[in-house]
Amino acid sequence: MSTQRVLRLSINGQPVEVPSPPERILLDLLREDLNLTGTKRGCDLGTCGCCTVLLDGRPTLSCLTLAVLAEGKAITTIEGVASATELHRVQKSFVEHGATQCGFCTPGFVLSAVALLRDHPHASRAEVVDAISGNLCRCTGYSKIIEAILAARPAGTA
Amino acid sequence: MSFQLVHPSTPAEAVRLLSGSATGDIAVLSGGTDLLLDLDNARLAPKRVLSLRKLPWRYLRWSADSLVIGSTTPLRAVENDGEVRRRLPGLWEAIRDVGSPALRSRATLGGNLGRGSPASDLIPILLALDARVRVVGPGGVRELPVDLLLQGSRRTTLGPAELIESVTLPASAPSTYLWQRVQPVNDISQVGVATAFVPQGPHWRIALGGVQPRARRMSEAEGVLPSARPSHFEVELAAQEAARRAEFVSDKRATESYRRRLVAVLVRRAIQTTLERMSKATPSRKAKR
Ligand SMILES: Cc1cc2nc3c(=O)[nH]c(=O)nc-3n(C[C@H](O)[C@H](O)[C@H](O)COP(=O)(O)OP(=O)(O)OC[C@H]3O[C@@H](n4cnc5c(N)ncnc54)[C@H](O)[C@@H]3O)c2cc1C
Ligand code: FES
Ligand code: FES
Repeated sequence: MSTQRVLRLSINGQPVEVPSPPERILLDLLREDLNLTGTKRGCDLGTCGCCTVLLDGRPTLSCLTLAVLAEGKAITTIEGVASATELHRVQKSFVEHGATQCGFCTPGFVLSAVALLRDHPHASRAEVVDAISGNLCRCTGYSKIIEAILAARPAGTA
Repeated sequence: MSFQLVHPSTPAEAVRLLSGSATGDIAVLSGGTDLLLDLDNARLAPKRVLSLRKLPWRYLRWSADSLVIGSTTPLRAVENDGEVRRRLPGLWEAIRDVGSPALRSRATLGGNLGRGSPASDLIPILLALDARVRVVGPGGVRELPVDLLLQGSRRTTLGPAELIESVTLPASAPSTYLWQRVQPVNDISQVGVATAFVPQGPHWRIALGGVQPRARRMSEAEGVLPSARPSHFEVELAAQEAARRAEFVSDKRATESYRRRLVAVLVRRAIQTTLERMSKATPSRKAKR
C-alpha cells in the first residue's frame, strides 16, 4: 500500500534521483539502492555510530532517518570526504596514527571528526571525546583515534 | 514496515488528519528515534505516519520570566544555546546526556514526552522545573503541568488527535540533573535525579526517573527542605525520604535495592550541587563572606 516516489537527493554534491517507498531508511537507500557501502550498518538501533552521515554538515544516524526526510538537505557520506586525488586531512591523520584496525567504525568516526573540526578547528581533547561519544570501536581502544583527530587540527593548536 | 507518509504544514491540518484516522492506523513522527525502532520491530504497524517536520514548532523563545521550547526543536539545538546552559543548568545537563550528539540532532523534547518512558532523562528535570505543556487538539489549545500529562509507564493523557506544541519553563532556576548508568553514553539510566530551587511555592523540587510506574516528584522529600539553605542534616533526611518513598523494579540494569541506594546518594549530591549553583548565581552573598 505504500507508493514509490522518486526522491531527489543531494549526495556528496551530486544530484541523485532514486525511486523509493516512504518507509525507506536512509542507510538502506545508501547501501542497497546506491551501492554507497562506505556507510556501515552496525547495530541498526542508533547506538554504534557506524552509520553516521552528515546532513547539512551535522552528524546524523542514517539507520534512524527516513530517506524522504533527507530531501532538500546536503548528504555527505564517507565517499564524499576525500577529493579526487587526496584523502581528507582527518583521513590522512587516521592512517598516520594507526587509528583504524578492522576499519568498520572508521567512516563514522571520520565524519564525526570532520564535522567537529569544521565548526571548531581548535577543538579541545574534551570536545573531541564528546564529538565521538556516540561512535563505538571494538579494535583500537580509542586513544589512537583521539590522537589522530587532535593531530588533524591546524598546526600550532595546543 | 510499509506506510504512507503525510506532512501537514499547519497544526490544524495535523489535528484534522489525526481526528480522521482510527487509533493505531496513524502514528506521529517527530525525530523518529523512538518511533522508527517501534516500526522496525513491528511493535507498531500504522497505515500512515504523520511527520511533524513542516509544523512551525522549532524554536526557543525567551521572555523575562519564561523559556518556551517548540516540541519539534532538536535536542542538540537546545543544548547548543548558551543561555540554556547558564540559566537552566539542570535542563542542559539532562539534554546533553541523552544518547549521543548524532542522536540529539534528531531527537526532540516533544518525542521524549510523547513517549513518556519511566526511564526518560528529560521528564524528571521537567517535573522539577514545573514545566507546562501546551497541547493542540480537536478541542483547541490546552495547557497542563507535565505531571498531568504523564499517566503510567509509556502512557500519556493525550487524546488520540492531540499533539504537544511546546513546553514552557521558568527563564532561570538553579537546578541539577544526575544519573547513574552502566555505560555513560547510549545507555538507559538506572535512576535519574533532578533537583531545582524555585523562588515561589515550596522552594525545593525533587523528581526521580527510573522509578515505577513513571517519573515523579517526591513531595515528601521536598517537605523536609523548608528553607533556601537547608542544613546538612535536612539534606540527608530528604535524600533518605526520597529513597524510602520511591518504588523501583529489579531488572537487568540494576536491582531494586541498588536503585534505592543510588537515589539516596544522588539526591544528596544533586541538592548540594544546586546549592553551589545558587551561591554562584548570587555574587553579592559570596562577596560578603
Ligand atoms: C540509541 C538511543 C539512545 C537513547 N538515549 C536516551 C537517553 O539517554 N535518555 C532518554 O531520555 N532517551 C533516550 N533515547 C530515547 C529517545 O531518543 C528520546 O525519547 C527522544 O527524545 C525521542 O524524541 P523523538 O523526536 O525522536 O521521538 P519520536 O520517535 O519521533 O516519537 C516518540 C513518541 O512520541 C510521540 N510524539 C512525538 N512527538 C510528539 C508530539 N509533538 N506530540 C505528541 N506525541 C508526540 C510519537 O508518536 C512516538 O510515540 C534514546 C534512543 C536511542 C535510539
Ligand atoms: S547502525 Fe546506526 S547507530 Fe548503529
Ligand atoms: S577499527 Fe575495528 S571497530 Fe574500530
